[in-house]
Amino acid sequence: MSDTLVRMGELAASKTAGDMLVTLGLGSCIGLVLLDRRMGVAGLAHVVLPESGGHTEVNQFKFADHAVPELIKRVCALGARRPMLEAVMVGGASMFAAIGGSMEVGARNEAAVKAQLAAARIRVHASATGGSRGRTVRVGPKTGIVLVREAGGKDAQLFPPTVNKLPTRTLQEVA
Amino acid sequence: MSATYNDVQLDALRELANIGAGNASTSLSGMLGRAVDLTVPDARVVPMTQAVEEIGAPETEITGIALGVSGDMPSIVLMLLSPSDAAVVCTLLGLEPDSEYAESALGEIGNVVGTSYLNALAGMTGLALEPSPPATATDMLGSLVETVLASRAAVSDDALLLDSSMIVEGEGCSIVFLLSPDHGGAGELLTRLGVS
Repeated sequence: MSDTLVRMGELAASKTAGDMLVTLGLGSCIGLVLLDRRMGVAGLAHVVLPESGGHTEVNQFKFADHAVPELIKRVCALGARRPMLEAVMVGGASMFAAIGGSMEVGARNEAAVKAQLAAARIRVHASATGGSRGRTVRVGPKTGIVLVREAGGKDAQLFPPTVNKLPTRTLQEVA
Repeated sequence: MSATYNDVQLDALRELANIGAGNASTSLSGMLGRAVDLTVPDARVVPMTQAVEEIGAPETEITGIALGVSGDMPSIVLMLLSPSDAAVVCTLLGLEPDSEYAESALGEIGNVVGTSYLNALAGMTGLALEPSPPATATDMLGSLVETVLASRAAVSDDALLLDSSMIVEGEGCSIVFLLSPDHGGAGELLTRLGVS
């Protein structure tokens, strides 16, 4: 039972019960989760930038164009079945909107990860992306549950969708 | 182009940070009407993966004021202070911490403090440095810091951090000041100082 911290440009995969793959405080980076829930395998990549653009001398897994194929490889190496993979995306926020330019990385990261997933024919089943808030993501391989938390908030289940989510929201709207 | 720096170079960067922060603390002191102390500045090269933890616990709630810098040394200046210290700073400026003006007042503090830091650097090195208007956000420390570092991540796995803390006397309130240049930029800085 241990937390594996997935920091900038890192990725990790696990099929151990009680394990938790965690990325704390995602800003413009994307936390990409790949799951084969039936097999109890999960992977998490902390993608920093959309593409390597020829920078080959640095860690390649910080770039979406290398991180996504590598994460697919790692979860499949642990027994995940490629056609059964489900993707969940978290992050890609614009923390300092006013600076613009270089700070639009969040949106570009999201688009790049989505394009890589589409090319690999993996569907994004849930996402908590964009906006201007930082997020923490946790995923347990055996449970297949993806939890997301914003600053000062509580862990909320992002995936699989919870059954009672809709009625609760409707009641709040009525009240 | 993953750059490493020797001790002489890190000392030179530390000295620059010292002078920049000295200038910045003088303007902060002038704005707040209080004495401002400085901690000894540090220049560190850390692996990108560890950079966030070097600065603080990733999920700590913190207020960040960021200034983009263009010109001869593209970089980002990030000032970090706890939300309660941000409230103290607002109070010293005569503002209600929760008022609609609080965020723009903090941005203005960041603007003045950051600009005087950069002016000192520019004056010493002859570099042209142009700050962009400030952006303020209160969120998780990790989210703010990684966003600043991400724009530098394409060319290097290391982050160069120049940091120093300014402490407002009598209020127990501190501001952490970070300058994160890209590696080409720091190289330019060192060339101008004659220690490249």
